Amino acid sequence: MPGIEALMHIGIKHYLFLSAILFSFGMLAVLLRRNVIVMLMGIELMLNAVNLSFIAFAKESGSLSGHIMVFFVMTIAAAEAGVGLALAVAIYKKFHELNIRFFEHLRG
Amino acid sequence: MEIQFGLIDFYLVAPALALFLFSCVPLLIKVLRGNVEQNSFATLVYGYVGLVTAAGLFAPTVGTERTAFEGALVFDGISSFSTAIVLFVTGIALTFARDSRSTNPRQFTEMVFLLLNCSVGMLTMVWSNDLIVTFVGLELFSLCLYMLIALSLEEKLSKEAAFKYFVLGSFASAFMLYGISFIYGTVGSTYLPEVFQASQNLLGTNRLFLIGFILLLLGFAFKISVFPFHAWAPDVYQGSPTPLTGFMATAVKAVSIAFMLRLVAAQAFTVERVWPFVDALQWVAVLTILVGNVGAFRQKSLKRMLAYSSIAHSGYILIGIIAAGIGGASMLGATGVMFYVLAYSIMTIGAFGVLHMLETRPDSDLTIEDLRGLGSQRPWLALCMTILLLSLTGIPPTIGFFGKFILFSAAVKQGLVWLAIWGVIGSIISVYYYLRPVVAMYMEEPLLARSNSDSKPMSYFAVALLAFLVLAIGLASEPAVQVVRASLIKVF
Repeated sequence: MPGIEALMHIGIKHYLFLSAILFSFGMLAVLLRRNVIVMLMGIELMLNAVNLSFIAFAKESGSLSGHIMVFFVMTIAAAEAGVGLALAVAIYKKFHELNIRFFEHLRG
Repeated sequence: MEIQFGLIDFYLVAPALALFLFSCVPLLIKVLRGNVEQNSFATLVYGYVGLVTAAGLFAPTVGTERTAFEGALVFDGISSFSTAIVLFVTGIALTFARDSRSTNPRQFTEMVFLLLNCSVGMLTMVWSNDLIVTFVGLELFSLCLYMLIALSLEEKLSKEAAFKYFVLGSFASAFMLYGISFIYGTVGSTYLPEVFQASQNLLGTNRLFLIGFILLLLGFAFKISVFPFHAWAPDVYQGSPTPLTGFMATAVKAVSIAFMLRLVAAQAFTVERVWPFVDALQWVAVLTILVGNVGAFRQKSLKRMLAYSSIAHSGYILIGIIAAGIGGASMLGATGVMFYVLAYSIMTIGAFGVLHMLETRPDSDLTIEDLRGLGSQRPWLALCMTILLLSLTGIPPTIGFFGKFILFSAAVKQGLVWLAIWGVIGSIISVYYYLRPVVAMYMEEPLLARSNSDSKPMSYFAVALLAFLVLAIGLASEPAVQVVRASLIKVF
């Protein structure tokens, strides 16, 4: 059966497809959810989806630079999480709320 | 594989190293003193010393054409020109930051540290010759900016602005990174010369590469707040401390535009498959000009007005980027973009500087009413503001006029007459909202007595210097343009 055949041989397309799905989930979390922490998680998910696609491409082409890039991206994602959570703490201290529906002071 | 690099590579990156080292000094002193803030002037001096050292180390490398660290960094006309702009703007922003009402006096050391590291990230980005280095540089300066905004003494608006900027900025850079991964997947490398070499062929044949290239451009379009991605700019610019707004509006845009110029220098837009995309980009430029000018037209807050005007200026610059990218006489377009970036940086940070000098509280949000009668109360400051606003409008003897003139004439020469016409229409709309503050300063009676007690001499000097530069470079625009052209001639 061709359907099972396609599932048995996991190739680069599957990885790229999975990374695209993860990326869209992350995107939706940032766009739709209104909780600061969930939005941060969405951004992390997007970055990790990109990592997966880097690894898949690196495996496909056999070059090492893709793996190295993943380390860079992981470092940056960690730094971003640090800054993001610090902002979340500052926001909680100020507003006693982690929902951004109160964020409408900047308008005009 | 053997990795080779020598002392010359370290010499080339020395400006960034010097900035980083000197940014640590005040922080170290603060820690050693048991977390007690030292005199803010001393902290400022460390910042200046770092900047001057960086400029001194950078000056001898001007005019060289080299790569460093196995080609990961490149030093050419675009990078040296942008380095000069970044160092200059950082110096001005430091000056404003010390005098600002919204700077927390107990956290000025951290502010200097973050500002200097911000420019380290910017330098990394303009030097980068490899997409991953570009991304690291971009994230370095973005992360510093998010924290700088949140450091403000005014808490409500700045926290909101910082978080908005953080979420949207990270969102955009995730898209950019996704684009980079597509480019890596199709080319097999992120080394820019290899990407450019493959781009002529791949753009026509490979859809994944096309998407990657477009996502990469989108990331930068967000940073320079081009039309569909402009909505964050007024909010973030209003909520941030004014000196920092000036810094964001100038340095961030300057380095992003410099990198976009590097991308279009590869002549990717000449590939037939990309033409519909270039057409779309022309519409984006027109809409950016319209949205910026119409938005600025109906603002009360001066900061929001300048934010919308900076969107409009991104539209003008985008015209030049398109003119530089479509082949033919691309040199004029590139010269126009670089010269306009210089002009825009000087006049915009100057205008924000004047605003910050008039602020009386950490949360003041100046409107036109606050400028009434400034011409009689503080005539020199009003004169500086007038010069800067006239330059933003594009009135002849100033630098803004010549910048726009070169940009639009480049567009006409490339057959993009309709873009030039829209640019002129935008400039005509802008006359109204730029001249309204001038009218208020000189022709209307002051509402309240203004005390001259806090004159902020250093900011005063910086603003006067910027206003002087606007006139001086405007009057000597011919040699200035020649310098820009000479620095770009090897790239294009």
